[in-house]
Amino acid sequence: MNYFCQSLWAIFVKDIVTELRSKQVLPTMIVLGMLIVYVMRIVCEAPSTSTIVIGPAVLWIAFLFSGLLAQERSMAAEEQENCIAGLLLAPIDPGTIYIAKLFVNVIMLCVFEAVVVPMAFVAFQLSVADRWIQFIIVLLLGNIGISSIGTLFSAMVQLTRGRGALLSILVLVILMPMMIPATFALLALFSAIPIKVEGYGALAFVGSFNSAVGYMTAFDAVFFVAGWLLFGFVIKD
Amino acid sequence: MPTIFGVQSTPYIVIIMSNRPQNNQNSEPVITITSVSKAFGFRSVLKNIDFHVQMAQGVCICGVNGAGKSTLLHIIAGLLKPTQGAVKICGLDVNSEPKAKSQLGVILHKSMLYPDLTVFENLLFFAKLYGVKDSRDRVKELLEDFGLLPYRYDKAGVLSRGMLQRLAIARAMVHRPVVLLADEPFTGLDMEASRYFISILDKFRAGGGTFIMTTHNANLALQCCDRIVVLDENHFIFDAETSQIDADRFIENYLIYARSPD
Repeated sequence: MNYFCQSLWAIFVKDIVTELRSKQVLPTMIVLGMLIVYVMRIVCEAPSTSTIVIGPAVLWIAFLFSGLLAQERSMAAEEQENCIAGLLLAPIDPGTIYIAKLFVNVIMLCVFEAVVVPMAFVAFQLSVADRWIQFIIVLLLGNIGISSIGTLFSAMVQLTRGRGALLSILVLVILMPMMIPATFALLALFSAIPIKVEGYGALAFVGSFNSAVGYMTAFDAVFFVAGWLLFGFVIKD
Repeated sequence: MPTIFGVQSTPYIVIIMSNRPQNNQNSEPVITITSVSKAFGFRSVLKNIDFHVQMAQGVCICGVNGAGKSTLLHIIAGLLKPTQGAVKICGLDVNSEPKAKSQLGVILHKSMLYPDLTVFENLLFFAKLYGVKDSRDRVKELLEDFGLLPYRYDKAGVLSRGMLQRLAIARAMVHRPVVLLADEPFTGLDMEASRYFISILDKFRAGGGTFIMTTHNANLALQCCDRIVVLDENHFIFDAETSQIDADRFIENYLIYARSPD
């Protein structure tokens, strides 16, 4: 266990230091996210749209695309100088590499959100009132979901041509089921919809804020375990 | 009997004795490769390779491009899984027992170093990855041994090819491996850097280490190894100790072979 923690910590620190030196991921993420928020704010100038309704969609789009960018870069950095072989040659479980990279990607997204979310709050005049803790939990669950799938698939597509495009297609399709409860949760927190929704459609299928959080937690758990178990098969041979 | 590369031999002779005055000929081989085959799709790269290497032996795998040298080295390192057969390092299966990897130090074409980390940070990272105790002390020791102390705060990305190769060797040795695998280690190195690498190999072997390297350069292979094998079209066509080889004839015949392997 001690050795597991030591190697996990070593990879985690290495990735953070590498990013701080190369500054390849975070600045691009932040610029892309700000651009999406800005463009969507312009869309809201149209008279029939509501900023409170569009806000959550804008946030998830920004998190998703910027997250993909980070995860693609994260694995591409390992491919440079064949560093991934250096990791695979060590007597560690490939799952350790996956968890360390997942942690780094989640932290990258958190830092990114710390910059973009306040901007979106101002631009869309959003407010969560006294539900900050729920808001942070929803963002964290979203980050874990995006990162657990993105980390696994970025490793999978690194051996193929047209990596970025393939990663986006794969991840977006798989993340779609999580985006519905994630959007529901933010809509409810911004008071754009009631805490419980009945009737037909995707939002009614989710039902309530609590079930949205439940779906997101289950989704994260499934893909975290799947990523941990499958990572070794993905990066070997 | 036919003559291959200047040595009277059957088309494929297997000699696993080292010419070094030791020792371990009766002991278990450090590396045991049993019936290893590898195919990529329908293309067979290695076929039924049986190969043993004793402790403190230096083996060079020669062959033309595409002969399967690097594939074999990657299989021994556990980076590629063989289609069939098994590789054991010190009796441990390299694909199923992680402890086998602790015995291996590997140098590949690319340095496997992070260009944005400093020389010290790169070594410390790999020391921690291998669970080396007193990792900082071990890194300082390696920096001194490899003459990298003045470069310890430099990023790996700014080092010259020769210095980068030194760092790659130090990285491969950070966990004190029993076996060193080197894929084309002389590529891109000048004479001085090549001599330096040979001196490292000699020192490593003198300390009881075993190494396998691949190279196109028969001359360098004769200088630093006690055994040479030639791989061609998925199997060994030659295996002999350097003490039995007439160096001039070997180099001459090898060059003729390398120019027209068919």
